[in-house]
Amino acid sequence: MLETLRLSSHIVRRNWWVYRKDFLANISPTITEPSLMMLSLGVGLGSFVAQVEGHTYLQYLAPGLAVSTAMFTAFFETSYGFFVRMTYENVFKAMLTTPIGISEIVIGEFLWVALKGALMMSFVALFLSFFGLFANPLRFELVPLVGVLIALPLGATGLLASCWVKNINQFQSVYAFVISPLYFFSGIFFPVAQMPQAMQWVAKSLPLYHAVQMSQAIFWDQDIGYAFLVHAPVLLIYSAVLLTLAYFQLKKKLQS
Amino acid sequence: MQDILVRASGVRKHFGAFEAVKSVSLEIRRGECFGLLGPNGAGKSTFINMLYGTVLRSSGELTVFGEDPALNARAIKRRIGVVTQDNALDESLTVVENMLIYAAFVDVPKPERQKRVDTLLEFMSLGHKARGPIRFLSGGMKRRLVFVRALLGNPDLVILDEPTTGLDPAVRHLLWGKINQLKSEGKTILLTTHYMHEAEVLCDRLVIMNQGTVIAEGSPDALRQQHTPGYVAVFEKRDGVDFVQQAARSRSYQMIEDSSGVYVRAPQLTQLLQFQDDLKMTALQLRPSHLEDVFLKLTGQELTADA
Repeated sequence: MLETLRLSSHIVRRNWWVYRKDFLANISPTITEPSLMMLSLGVGLGSFVAQVEGHTYLQYLAPGLAVSTAMFTAFFETSYGFFVRMTYENVFKAMLTTPIGISEIVIGEFLWVALKGALMMSFVALFLSFFGLFANPLRFELVPLVGVLIALPLGATGLLASCWVKNINQFQSVYAFVISPLYFFSGIFFPVAQMPQAMQWVAKSLPLYHAVQMSQAIFWDQDIGYAFLVHAPVLLIYSAVLLTLAYFQLKKKLQS
Repeated sequence: MQDILVRASGVRKHFGAFEAVKSVSLEIRRGECFGLLGPNGAGKSTFINMLYGTVLRSSGELTVFGEDPALNARAIKRRIGVVTQDNALDESLTVVENMLIYAAFVDVPKPERQKRVDTLLEFMSLGHKARGPIRFLSGGMKRRLVFVRALLGNPDLVILDEPTTGLDPAVRHLLWGKINQLKSEGKTILLTTHYMHEAEVLCDRLVIMNQGTVIAEGSPDALRQQHTPGYVAVFEKRDGVDFVQQAARSRSYQMIEDSSGVYVRAPQLTQLLQFQDDLKMTALQLRPSHLEDVFLKLTGQELTADA
């Protein structure tokens, strides 16, 4: 097991080396998208909104945007990113001739997506904190935890999609029918209580809602203990189930 | 110290209904260059992938260094270096970064990595390209890089999966020289190729595969002696083919026809010279038989045809 982790860490390092090559290009959407969103929705649209759950609209929006960054990072990395590594770049073919096996590749990708989710969410949270949108700096170390908790189930979803799609274009369907609805109806832009009861149930049964709740608690420094007690277990269960599925599907896919 | 590194007995692999490898048995001895020859689709790469567990065999016995690759691939992979058929290089990284990452994969201790990489790049005269990205390398340079990448872990067994396909003659000869150098250092080499000439130059022993089966086994010389002793005259295919065929048949010379010409084989060179004179025709080639003739004879098929 230790050997597997040690070898998996090479995958993380490899992905990091490739990522940092185009660091500015890679990091720019992470920064610009939340900033633009804060400007247009937070400042622009927000001027029409009085208060949401006792917060200005900017304050309300900030935690959800930070989570969504981790979610998109995780999904894109494990769908398009992973698929390109697997099919176009063939990087696994060379790796598999070394002591690295399929398990190490899969676990390495899990570690990488968790790390990336944590980093990206922290990055955005730090940026937002400069505008006074993060209530208590002492809580900041909890941010990467939420990043990991949302990156794992969404990363596993991306990896499962990578096993199932027949070509790279088909990721668009996954994006349109899974990721987009998650993004719009998980309490990032408005409280889910505004939706009809049935839609609330659906939203609450899916992972992003719980990550948003955790992020809001941390950003606002409100009921953090409760958030970790109630929402973290849901995300952990989602992570466990989806990662297990992804692990076995990928093993099947890469082994012939 | 065991002398048989790879032992295969009745190894089969099917993908669904397609049988890629049908009952391959062979042994690879320490220190030899062993060839796996055959056209595209013969099952060479599938067999090679089974050696280190990337493809799991459907049945049969297979051990590498005494280990079963289906059970303990990692122990095997610590002792092999593979020149994969696809280069599988990280295009966005530099030459040196590709090598350093790979050195970590094969457990070269960190303090030694840079030195090992520099030495190997010099070995392949790639030192001047070290800091540049992969995309600045020509096809031949990429192949040379993949070749030394396989040597990073100082492997006992070097597996070369079509190392020279698509390369120009200069690079091909350079790689042949390096392969011989490895052999003289005592490494065992497994080479797949569909260039019969390459196998003749490099291999001590080889098997010829076709459509998933081993159809011949031995040293290049022994195979020639056994299957196609003597000399070959190649005549152009045009009007008069029938005439050549009849003449050959009447002298009971071996004769094979394919799209590139008519191949007539006789025990002695003088017989073929006489044959030319008798027919008042000049052969395109007059030469000793080589492995390609063996292949043609055994399969009745052109080497280049996809199986």
